[in-house]
Amino acid sequence: MAGGTIWKGYIHFRDTDVPVKLHTAVKEERIQFHLLHGRDRVRLRQRMVCAHEKQPVPPEEQCKGFEVEDGKYVIVDPAELEQTAPEGSRVIEVHEFVKTRQIDPIYLDRPYYLEPDISDIQGKGFNALVKALKDLDVTGICTWTMRKRPYFGALQARGKTLRLSTLRYADEIVPVESLELGDVALSEKELKIGSELIEKLTAPFEPSKFENEHQKKLQDMIDKKARGEKVVVLRPRRLKPTGSDQLLRALEASLKKAA
Amino acid sequence: MAVQAMWSGTISFSLVAIPVHLVKAVEPGRISFRLLHNKDYSPLTRKMFCPEEEKTVPSDEIIRGYEIMPDKYIPMTDEELESVSPERSRTIEIIEFIDTKDVDPIYYDHPYYLVPSKGGEKAYRLLVEVMRRTKKAGLAKFVLSEREYLVAVTPRDGALALTTLRYSEEILPDEDLSPKKGKIAAEEQSRIKKSIERMIEDFNPQKYADDRRKKLMDLLTKKAKEKAPVEAPAVEEEEKEGPADLVAALEESMRKVKSR
Repeated sequence: MAGGTIWKGYIHFRDTDVPVKLHTAVKEERIQFHLLHGRDRVRLRQRMVCAHEKQPVPPEEQCKGFEVEDGKYVIVDPAELEQTAPEGSRVIEVHEFVKTRQIDPIYLDRPYYLEPDISDIQGKGFNALVKALKDLDVTGICTWTMRKRPYFGALQARGKTLRLSTLRYADEIVPVESLELGDVALSEKELKIGSELIEKLTAPFEPSKFENEHQKKLQDMIDKKARGEKVVVLRPRRLKPTGSDQLLRALEASLKKAA
Repeated sequence: MAVQAMWSGTISFSLVAIPVHLVKAVEPGRISFRLLHNKDYSPLTRKMFCPEEEKTVPSDEIIRGYEIMPDKYIPMTDEELESVSPERSRTIEIIEFIDTKDVDPIYYDHPYYLVPSKGGEKAYRLLVEVMRRTKKAGLAKFVLSEREYLVAVTPRDGALALTTLRYSEEILPDEDLSPKKGKIAAEEQSRIKKSIERMIEDFNPQKYADDRRKKLMDLLTKKAKEKAPVEAPAVEEEEKEGPADLVAALEESMRKVKSR
Protein backbone atom coordinates (compact mmCIF):
# COMPACT_ATOMS: atom_id res chain seq x y z
CA MET A 1 0.00 0.00 0.00
CA ALA A 2 1.19 3.47 -0.80
CA GLY A 3 1.45 5.96 2.07
CA GLY A 4 -1.49 8.15 3.14
CA THR A 5 -2.55 11.35 1.39
CA ILE A 6 -0.24 14.18 2.36
CA TRP A 7 -1.52 16.96 0.15
CA LYS A 8 -4.41 17.69 -2.22
CA GLY A 9 -4.49 20.03 -5.17
CA TYR A 10 -4.69 20.05 -8.92
CA ILE A 11 -2.33 19.94 -11.85
CA HIS A 12 -2.80 22.98 -14.06
CA PHE A 13 -1.59 23.98 -17.53
CA ARG A 14 -3.39 25.95 -20.24
CA ASP A 15 -7.01 24.78 -20.29
CA THR A 16 -6.35 21.61 -18.30
CA ASP A 17 -6.99 21.01 -14.59
CA VAL A 18 -6.59 17.58 -13.04
CA PRO A 19 -7.45 17.20 -9.34
CA VAL A 20 -4.94 14.97 -7.53
CA LYS A 21 -3.89 13.65 -4.15
CA LEU A 22 -0.22 13.30 -3.23
CA HIS A 23 1.15 10.18 -1.54
CA THR A 24 4.61 9.29 -0.28
CA ALA A 25 6.29 6.80 -2.60
CA VAL A 26 9.25 5.70 -0.47
CA LYS A 27 9.92 4.74 3.12
CA GLU A 28 13.20 4.36 4.90
CA GLU A 29 14.04 1.79 7.51
CA ARG A 30 17.23 1.60 9.50
CA ILE A 31 18.59 0.56 12.85
CA GLN A 32 18.88 3.60 15.11
CA PHE A 33 21.58 4.17 17.67
CA HIS A 34 21.55 6.52 20.62
CA LEU A 35 24.43 8.39 22.17
CA LEU A 36 25.34 7.21 25.67
CA HIS A 37 27.66 8.35 28.40
CA GLY A 38 30.43 5.69 28.30
CA ARG A 39 30.85 5.60 32.05
CA ASP A 40 27.29 4.96 33.19
CA ARG A 41 25.54 4.18 29.89
CA VAL A 42 22.97 6.88 30.49
CA ARG A 43 21.36 8.16 27.32
CA LEU A 44 22.60 11.65 26.56
CA ARG A 45 20.37 14.57 25.69
CA GLN A 46 21.25 17.43 23.44
CA ARG A 47 21.76 20.88 24.99
CA MET A 48 22.61 24.15 23.34
CA VAL A 49 25.53 25.68 25.21
CA CYS A 50 26.52 29.35 25.10
CA ALA A 51 30.07 29.56 23.73
CA HIS A 52 30.74 32.58 25.98
CA GLU A 53 29.12 31.62 29.30
CA LYS A 54 29.69 27.89 28.77
CA GLN A 55 26.21 27.23 30.15
CA PRO A 56 23.23 25.44 28.62
CA VAL A 57 20.70 27.95 27.27
CA PRO A 58 16.93 27.24 27.51
CA PRO A 59 14.86 27.58 24.29
CA GLU A 60 13.26 30.88 25.40
CA GLU A 61 16.71 32.51 25.49
CA GLN A 62 17.67 31.32 22.02
CA CYS A 63 17.36 33.37 18.87
CA LYS A 64 18.27 32.94 15.22
CA GLY A 65 21.05 34.92 13.61
CA PHE A 66 22.45 35.06 10.11
CA GLU A 67 26.22 35.51 10.08
CA VAL A 68 27.04 38.46 7.81
CA GLU A 69 30.71 38.41 8.65
CA ASP A 70 32.86 36.66 11.21
CA GLY A 71 31.09 36.91 14.59
CA LYS A 72 28.52 39.48 13.33
CA TYR A 73 24.88 38.50 13.00
CA VAL A 74 21.59 39.85 11.72
CA ILE A 75 18.89 38.69 14.12
CA VAL A 76 15.64 37.47 12.60
CA ASP A 77 12.51 36.60 14.52
CA PRO A 78 10.05 33.83 13.60
CA ALA A 79 7.40 36.32 12.42
CA GLU A 80 9.83 37.75 9.87
CA LEU A 81 10.67 34.29 8.62
CA GLU A 82 6.98 33.57 8.30
CA GLN A 83 6.69 36.53 5.90
CA THR A 84 9.01 34.83 3.44
CA ALA A 85 6.79 31.73 3.27
CA PRO A 86 4.92 31.58 -0.03
CA GLU A 87 1.18 32.06 -0.10
CA GLY A 88 -0.74 28.85 0.28
CA SER A 89 -1.99 27.42 -2.99
CA ARG A 90 -3.47 24.22 -4.33
CA VAL A 91 -1.98 24.39 -7.80
CA ILE A 92 0.77 22.30 -9.29
CA GLU A 93 1.56 24.67 -12.12
CA VAL A 94 3.14 23.00 -15.15
CA HIS A 95 5.36 25.59 -16.87
CA GLU A 96 6.62 23.47 -19.74
CA PHE A 97 7.12 19.91 -20.90
CA VAL A 98 10.52 18.48 -21.75
CA LYS A 99 11.65 15.22 -23.33
CA THR A 100 12.09 12.83 -20.42
CA ARG A 101 15.56 11.71 -21.50
CA GLN A 102 16.84 15.30 -21.13
CA ILE A 103 16.45 15.17 -17.36
CA ASP A 104 19.77 14.42 -15.72
CA PRO A 105 18.92 12.11 -12.79
CA ILE A 106 21.21 14.15 -10.52
CA TYR A 107 18.30 16.65 -10.29
CA LEU A 108 15.81 14.09 -8.97
CA ASP A 109 15.20 14.44 -5.28
CA ARG A 110 12.16 12.96 -3.55
CA PRO A 111 9.42 11.04 -5.38
CA TYR A 112 5.68 11.12 -4.67
CA TYR A 113 2.78 9.26 -6.22
CA LEU A 114 -0.29 11.08 -7.50
CA GLU A 115 -3.80 9.68 -7.38
CA PRO A 116 -6.90 11.15 -9.06
CA ASP A 117 -8.95 13.06 -6.52
CA ILE A 118 -12.60 12.30 -5.90
CA SER A 119 -13.80 15.17 -8.07
CA ASP A 120 -12.22 13.44 -11.08
CA ILE A 121 -14.35 10.44 -10.28
CA GLN A 122 -13.51 8.28 -13.24
CA GLY A 123 -10.03 9.65 -13.50
CA LYS A 124 -10.77 10.88 -17.01
CA GLY A 125 -8.46 13.86 -17.03
CA PHE A 126 -5.90 11.86 -15.10
CA ASN A 127 -5.96 8.95 -17.54
CA ALA A 128 -5.78 11.28 -20.52
CA LEU A 129 -2.77 13.04 -19.00
CA VAL A 130 -0.99 9.74 -18.27
CA LYS A 131 -1.53 8.61 -21.83
CA ALA A 132 -0.43 11.90 -23.40
CA LEU A 133 2.78 12.06 -21.30
CA LYS A 134 3.60 8.49 -22.31
CA ASP A 135 2.80 8.92 -25.99
CA LEU A 136 4.94 12.05 -26.23
CA ASP A 137 7.62 10.71 -23.84
CA VAL A 138 7.66 13.99 -21.95
CA THR A 139 7.89 15.20 -18.36
CA GLY A 140 6.10 18.25 -16.98
CA ILE A 141 8.32 20.78 -15.19
CA CYS A 142 6.26 22.35 -12.42
CA THR A 143 6.21 24.36 -9.24
CA TRP A 144 3.87 24.19 -6.27
CA THR A 145 3.60 25.12 -2.62
CA MET A 146 3.34 22.57 0.13
CA ARG A 147 3.86 22.89 3.90
CA LYS A 148 4.65 26.59 3.44
CA ARG A 149 7.55 25.86 1.12
CA PRO A 150 7.92 26.30 -2.62
CA TYR A 151 8.78 23.17 -4.60
CA PHE A 152 10.17 22.59 -8.07
CA GLY A 153 9.45 19.21 -9.59
CA ALA A 154 9.02 16.78 -12.47
CA LEU A 155 5.65 15.27 -13.37
CA GLN A 156 5.99 11.89 -15.05
CA ALA A 157 3.75 9.03 -16.11
CA ARG A 158 4.77 5.54 -15.09
CA GLY A 159 2.54 2.51 -15.48
CA LYS A 160 -1.02 3.72 -14.95
CA THR A 161 -0.16 6.46 -12.50
CA LEU A 162 1.53 9.81 -12.27
CA ARG A 163 4.57 10.60 -10.24
CA LEU A 164 5.78 13.92 -9.00
CA SER A 165 9.43 14.09 -8.04
CA THR A 166 10.91 17.14 -6.38
CA LEU A 167 13.93 18.51 -8.25
CA ARG A 168 17.08 20.07 -6.89
CA TYR A 169 17.77 23.63 -8.00
CA ALA A 170 20.53 24.03 -10.59
CA ASP A 171 22.77 25.99 -8.21
CA GLU A 172 22.67 23.11 -5.72
CA ILE A 173 24.49 20.77 -8.11
CA VAL A 174 28.26 20.75 -7.75
CA PRO A 175 29.71 21.23 -11.27
CA VAL A 176 32.11 18.54 -12.48
CA GLU A 177 34.66 21.28 -13.37
CA SER A 178 35.17 21.97 -9.67
CA LEU A 179 36.59 18.45 -9.28
CA GLU A 180 39.59 19.52 -11.40
CA LEU A 181 39.97 16.15 -13.11
CA GLY A 182 43.03 15.96 -15.33
CA ASP A 183 42.96 14.42 -18.76
CA VAL A 184 44.65 11.07 -19.31
CA ALA A 185 45.32 9.54 -22.71
CA LEU A 186 43.94 6.06 -23.30
CA SER A 187 44.82 3.76 -26.15
CA GLU A 188 42.09 2.55 -28.50
CA LYS A 189 43.05 -1.00 -27.49
CA GLU A 190 42.41 -0.29 -23.80
CA LEU A 191 39.05 1.26 -24.63
CA LYS A 192 38.07 -1.63 -26.88
CA ILE A 193 38.95 -4.32 -24.36
CA GLY A 194 37.34 -2.28 -21.58
CA SER A 195 34.09 -1.96 -23.57
CA GLU A 196 34.09 -5.66 -24.35
CA LEU A 197 34.61 -6.47 -20.69
CA ILE A 198 31.71 -4.26 -19.60
CA GLU A 199 29.40 -5.82 -22.17
CA LYS A 200 30.35 -9.25 -20.81
CA LEU A 201 29.63 -8.18 -17.25
CA THR A 202 26.23 -6.68 -18.11
CA ALA A 203 23.07 -8.13 -16.61
CA PRO A 204 19.44 -6.93 -16.58
CA PHE A 205 18.58 -4.45 -13.83
CA GLU A 206 16.76 -6.44 -11.14
CA PRO A 207 16.84 -4.32 -8.02
CA SER A 208 14.74 -6.76 -6.00
CA LYS A 209 17.61 -9.25 -5.92
CA PHE A 210 19.62 -6.88 -3.75
CA GLU A 211 18.81 -6.86 -0.09
CA ASN A 212 20.20 -4.78 2.69
CA GLU A 213 22.36 -7.59 4.08
CA HIS A 214 24.27 -5.22 6.28
CA GLN A 215 21.17 -4.32 8.28
CA LYS A 216 20.61 -8.01 9.01
CA LYS A 217 24.25 -8.62 9.93
CA LEU A 218 24.19 -5.59 12.19
CA GLN A 219 21.06 -6.89 13.94
CA ASP A 220 22.80 -10.27 14.37
CA MET A 221 25.79 -8.59 15.94
CA ILE A 222 23.55 -6.65 18.35
CA ASP A 223 21.72 -9.87 19.30
CA LYS A 224 25.00 -11.67 19.86
CA LYS A 225 26.24 -8.93 22.14
CA ALA A 226 22.91 -8.88 23.97
CA ARG A 227 23.38 -12.58 24.74
CA GLY A 228 26.81 -11.77 26.12
CA GLU A 229 28.73 -13.49 23.33
CA LYS A 230 32.08 -12.22 22.15
CA VAL A 231 32.20 -10.36 18.85
CA VAL A 232 35.24 -10.77 16.61
CA VAL A 233 36.41 -7.48 15.16
CA LEU A 234 37.47 -7.73 11.52
CA ARG A 235 39.68 -5.27 9.68
CA PRO A 236 38.35 -3.65 6.53
CA ARG A 237 39.96 -4.93 3.37
CA ARG A 238 41.82 -2.61 1.05
CA LEU A 239 42.51 -3.58 -2.54
CA LYS A 240 45.83 -2.97 -4.24
CA PRO A 241 45.28 -0.33 -6.95
CA THR A 242 45.91 -1.26 -10.56
CA GLY A 243 48.86 0.83 -11.80
CA SER A 244 48.64 2.66 -15.15
CA ASP A 245 51.22 0.34 -16.69
CA GLN A 246 49.27 -2.75 -15.57
CA LEU A 247 45.87 -1.52 -16.78
CA LEU A 248 45.89 -3.26 -20.14
CA ARG A 249 47.05 -6.53 -18.60
CA ALA A 250 44.37 -6.34 -15.89
CA LEU A 251 41.69 -5.70 -18.54
CA GLU A 252 42.84 -8.64 -20.64
CA ALA A 253 42.96 -10.95 -17.62
CA SER A 254 39.45 -9.75 -16.59
CA LEU A 255 38.09 -10.43 -20.05
CA LYS A 256 39.53 -13.94 -19.98
CA LYS A 257 37.97 -14.50 -16.57
CA ALA A 258 34.55 -13.25 -17.72
CA ALA A 259 34.55 -15.41 -20.86
CA MET B 1 41.66 19.67 -3.99
CA ALA B 2 38.77 22.04 -4.07
CA VAL B 3 36.21 19.71 -2.51
CA GLN B 4 36.47 17.86 0.74
CA ALA B 5 36.51 14.06 0.64
CA MET B 6 34.00 12.25 2.83
CA TRP B 7 35.43 8.80 2.28
CA SER B 8 38.37 7.17 0.56
CA GLY B 9 38.92 3.64 -0.68
CA THR B 10 38.85 1.65 -3.88
CA ILE B 11 36.34 1.09 -6.66
CA SER B 12 36.80 -2.17 -8.52
CA PHE B 13 35.37 -4.07 -11.44
CA SER B 14 36.62 -7.54 -12.21
CA LEU B 15 40.44 -7.41 -11.72
CA VAL B 16 40.78 -3.64 -12.00
CA ALA B 17 41.04 -1.62 -8.77
CA ILE B 18 40.98 2.20 -8.73
CA PRO B 19 41.85 4.27 -5.66
CA VAL B 20 39.21 6.98 -5.25
CA HIS B 21 37.59 9.35 -2.82
CA LEU B 22 33.99 10.34 -2.47
CA VAL B 23 32.83 13.96 -2.56
CA LYS B 24 29.47 15.70 -2.49
CA ALA B 25 27.63 16.25 -5.76
CA VAL B 26 24.91 18.43 -4.29
CA GLU B 27 25.16 21.33 -1.92
CA PRO B 28 21.76 22.26 -0.47
CA GLY B 29 21.17 25.94 -1.10
CA ARG B 30 19.34 26.44 2.16
CA ILE B 31 20.24 29.62 4.03
CA SER B 32 21.61 28.51 7.36
CA PHE B 33 21.08 30.36 10.58
CA ARG B 34 23.09 30.14 13.73
CA LEU B 35 21.34 29.75 17.09
CA LEU B 36 22.45 32.53 19.42
CA HIS B 37 22.02 33.35 23.09
CA ASN B 38 19.66 36.36 23.13
CA LYS B 39 21.50 37.98 26.07
CA ASP B 40 25.01 38.26 24.68
CA TYR B 41 24.52 37.14 21.05
CA SER B 42 27.08 34.46 21.56
CA PRO B 43 26.64 31.43 19.27
CA LEU B 44 25.31 28.26 20.82
CA THR B 45 27.04 24.97 20.30
CA ARG B 46 25.43 21.58 20.49
CA LYS B 47 26.69 19.56 23.44
CA MET B 48 25.61 16.22 24.79
CA PHE B 49 24.32 16.39 28.33
CA CYS B 50 24.17 13.59 30.88
CA PRO B 51 20.86 13.92 32.79
CA GLU B 52 22.20 11.71 35.59
CA GLU B 53 25.32 13.77 36.34
CA GLU B 54 23.71 16.98 35.12
CA LYS B 55 26.68 18.08 33.06
CA THR B 56 27.87 18.16 29.48
CA VAL B 57 29.91 15.19 28.40
CA PRO B 58 33.16 15.50 26.40
CA SER B 59 33.16 13.61 23.13
CA ASP B 60 35.72 11.02 24.24
CA GLU B 61 33.22 9.81 26.86
CA ILE B 62 30.43 9.33 24.32
CA ILE B 63 29.62 5.90 22.96
CA ARG B 64 26.86 4.59 20.75
CA GLY B 65 24.25 2.16 21.93
CA TYR B 66 21.30 0.25 20.57
CA GLU B 67 18.21 0.21 22.78
CA ILE B 68 17.18 -3.43 23.24
CA MET B 69 14.53 -2.64 25.84
CA PRO B 70 13.47 0.63 27.45
CA ASP B 71 16.57 2.23 28.97
CA LYS B 72 18.75 -0.80 28.36
CA TYR B 73 21.43 -0.38 25.72
CA ILE B 74 23.96 -2.56 23.96
CA PRO B 75 27.05 -0.41 23.38
CA MET B 76 28.67 -0.61 19.94
CA THR B 77 32.21 0.53 19.14
CA ASP B 78 33.28 2.02 15.81
CA GLU B 79 35.49 -1.02 15.18
CA GLU B 80 32.56 -3.35 15.72
CA LEU B 81 30.35 -1.33 13.42
CA GLU B 82 33.00 -1.25 10.74
CA SER B 83 33.52 -4.98 11.06
CA VAL B 84 29.88 -5.79 10.22
CA SER B 85 30.71 -5.71 6.50
CA PRO B 86 34.51 -5.33 6.42
CA GLU B 87 34.76 -6.16 2.72
CA ARG B 88 32.44 -3.33 1.78
CA SER B 89 33.55 -0.51 4.01
CA ARG B 90 36.65 0.35 1.96
CA THR B 91 35.74 -1.13 -1.41
CA ILE B 92 33.04 -0.30 -3.91
CA GLU B 93 32.95 -3.53 -5.87
CA ILE B 94 30.96 -3.29 -9.10
CA ILE B 95 29.00 -6.55 -9.15
CA GLU B 96 27.58 -6.08 -12.62
CA PHE B 97 26.86 -3.49 -15.26
CA ILE B 98 23.36 -2.57 -16.42
CA ASP B 99 21.85 -0.52 -19.21
CA THR B 100 21.35 2.93 -17.71
CA LYS B 101 18.00 3.34 -19.45
CA ASP B 102 16.64 0.29 -17.55
CA VAL B 103 16.84 2.04 -14.19
CA ASP B 104 13.48 3.33 -13.00
CA PRO B 105 14.40 6.82 -11.73
CA ILE B 106 12.39 6.26 -8.53
CA TYR B 107 15.39 4.21 -7.34
CA TYR B 108 17.78 7.17 -7.44
CA ASP B 109 18.38 8.62 -4.01
CA HIS B 110 21.46 10.69 -3.20
CA PRO B 111 24.21 11.62 -5.68
CA TYR B 112 27.95 11.91 -5.01
CA TYR B 113 31.05 12.07 -7.20
CA LEU B 114 34.05 9.78 -7.12
CA VAL B 115 37.41 11.45 -7.74
CA PRO B 116 40.58 9.46 -8.53
CA SER B 117 43.27 9.36 -5.84
CA LYS B 118 46.94 9.39 -6.78
CA GLY B 119 47.78 6.60 -9.21
CA GLY B 120 44.17 5.90 -10.13
CA GLU B 121 43.75 8.56 -12.83
CA LYS B 122 44.16 6.32 -15.84
CA ALA B 123 41.92 3.44 -14.78
CA TYR B 124 39.34 6.04 -13.63
CA ARG B 125 39.36 7.73 -17.02
CA LEU B 126 38.98 4.34 -18.70
CA LEU B 127 35.94 3.40 -16.61
CA VAL B 128 34.28 6.78 -17.33
CA GLU B 129 34.92 6.57 -21.06
CA VAL B 130 33.93 2.94 -21.46
CA MET B 131 30.64 3.37 -19.55
CA ARG B 132 29.88 6.47 -21.60
CA ARG B 133 30.43 4.62 -24.87
CA THR B 134 28.42 1.57 -23.85
CA LYS B 135 25.70 3.61 -22.02
CA LYS B 136 26.12 1.45 -18.93
CA ALA B 137 26.01 1.97 -15.20
CA GLY B 138 27.91 -0.11 -12.67
CA LEU B 139 26.00 -1.60 -9.75
CA ALA B 140 27.80 -1.98 -6.42
CA LYS B 141 27.21 -2.53 -2.73
CA PHE B 142 28.95 -0.14 -0.45
CA VAL B 143 28.93 0.68 3.27
CA LEU B 144 29.09 4.32 4.31
CA SER B 145 28.69 5.40 7.96
CA GLU B 146 27.20 2.10 9.08
CA ARG B 147 24.75 1.88 6.28
CA GLU B 148 24.88 -0.42 3.34
CA TYR B 149 23.88 1.13 0.05
CA LEU B 150 23.18 -0.29 -3.34
CA VAL B 151 24.74 2.28 -5.66
CA ALA B 152 24.82 3.06 -9.36
CA VAL B 153 28.09 4.37 -10.76
CA THR B 154 27.57 6.37 -13.95
CA PRO B 155 29.61 8.73 -16.11
CA ARG B 156 28.66 12.42 -15.84
CA ASP B 157 30.53 15.08 -17.85
CA GLY B 158 33.77 13.09 -17.64
CA ALA B 159 33.47 12.24 -13.95
CA LEU B 160 32.13 9.20 -12.14
CA ALA B 161 28.89 9.90 -10.32
CA LEU B 162 27.88 7.53 -7.55
CA THR B 163 24.18 7.59 -6.73
CA THR B 164 22.76 5.63 -3.83
CA LEU B 165 19.73 3.61 -4.87
CA ARG B 166 16.68 2.85 -2.79
CA TYR B 167 16.10 -0.80 -2.01
CA SER B 168 13.03 -2.35 -3.65
CA GLU B 169 11.38 -2.85 -0.28
CA GLU B 170 11.64 0.89 0.39
CA ILE B 171 9.55 1.71 -2.67
CA LEU B 172 5.87 1.58 -1.90
CA PRO B 173 3.57 -0.16 -4.35
CA ASP B 174 1.34 2.14 -6.39
CA GLU B 175 -1.20 -0.33 -7.78
CA ASP B 176 -3.88 0.78 -5.34
CA LEU B 177 -3.57 4.35 -6.61
CA SER B 178 -4.27 3.81 -10.26
CA PRO B 179 -7.65 5.12 -11.34
CA LYS B 180 -10.61 2.97 -12.24
CA LYS B 181 -10.77 2.29 -15.93
CA GLY B 182 -12.59 5.25 -17.29
CA LYS B 183 -13.13 5.67 -20.96
CA ILE B 184 -11.15 8.63 -22.16
CA ALA B 185 -13.08 10.68 -24.63
CA ALA B 186 -11.07 10.92 -27.85
CA GLU B 187 -11.74 14.64 -27.93
CA GLU B 188 -10.38 15.19 -24.42
CA GLN B 189 -7.34 13.07 -25.22
CA SER B 190 -6.43 15.01 -28.33
CA ARG B 191 -7.03 18.36 -26.59
CA ILE B 192 -4.60 17.49 -23.75
CA LYS B 193 -2.03 16.16 -26.17
CA LYS B 194 -2.19 19.30 -28.29
CA SER B 195 -1.79 21.54 -25.24
CA ILE B 196 1.25 19.59 -24.14
CA GLU B 197 2.82 19.62 -27.60
CA ARG B 198 2.59 23.41 -27.69
CA MET B 199 4.46 23.59 -24.39
CA ILE B 200 7.48 21.40 -25.21
CA GLU B 201 10.81 23.09 -24.49
CA ASP B 202 14.35 22.00 -23.70
CA PHE B 203 15.10 21.16 -20.07
CA ASN B 204 16.74 24.22 -18.59
CA PRO B 205 16.75 23.99 -14.80
CA GLN B 206 18.68 27.28 -14.48
CA LYS B 207 15.39 29.07 -15.17
CA TYR B 208 14.01 28.03 -11.80
CA ALA B 209 15.14 29.52 -8.52
CA ASP B 210 14.08 29.03 -4.96
CA ASP B 211 11.84 32.08 -4.38
CA ARG B 212 11.83 31.58 -0.67
CA ARG B 213 15.61 31.70 -0.53
CA LYS B 214 15.58 34.90 -2.55
CA LYS B 215 12.97 36.54 -0.31
CA LEU B 216 14.95 35.53 2.74
CA MET B 217 18.15 36.97 1.28
CA ASP B 218 16.32 40.23 0.50
CA LEU B 219 14.99 40.39 4.04
CA LEU B 220 18.47 39.83 5.51
CA THR B 221 20.08 42.41 3.24
CA LYS B 222 17.42 44.97 4.16
CA LYS B 223 17.83 44.30 7.87
CA ALA B 224 21.61 44.50 7.68
CA LYS B 225 21.29 47.96 6.07
CA GLU B 226 18.73 49.29 8.54
CA LYS B 227 20.49 48.25 11.67
CA ALA B 228 24.09 47.35 12.42
CA PRO B 229 24.52 43.63 12.97
CA VAL B 230 25.00 42.45 16.54
CA GLU B 231 28.42 41.23 17.55
CA ALA B 232 29.24 38.13 19.54
CA PRO B 233 31.76 38.40 22.38
CA ALA B 234 35.14 36.93 21.58
CA VAL B 235 35.81 33.51 23.04
CA GLU B 236 38.98 31.48 22.99
CA GLU B 237 39.01 28.95 20.23
CA GLU B 238 37.95 25.63 21.61
CA GLU B 239 40.14 22.71 20.72
CA LYS B 240 38.73 20.85 17.78
CA GLU B 241 38.09 17.33 18.92
CA GLY B 242 38.09 14.49 16.42
CA PRO B 243 35.13 12.46 17.66
CA ALA B 244 32.96 15.60 17.83
CA ASP B 245 32.68 15.36 14.05
CA LEU B 246 31.31 11.87 14.44
CA VAL B 247 28.63 13.14 16.80
CA ALA B 248 27.76 15.92 14.37
CA ALA B 249 27.67 13.45 11.49
CA LEU B 250 25.40 11.11 13.40
CA GLU B 251 23.05 13.85 14.37
CA GLU B 252 23.00 15.09 10.84
CA SER B 253 22.02 11.66 9.56
CA MET B 254 19.35 11.30 12.25
CA ARG B 255 17.96 14.69 11.38
CA LYS B 256 17.86 13.72 7.75
CA VAL B 257 15.84 10.62 8.50
CA LYS B 258 13.45 12.57 10.68
CA SER B 259 12.94 15.41 8.26
CA ARG B 260 11.80 13.03 5.55
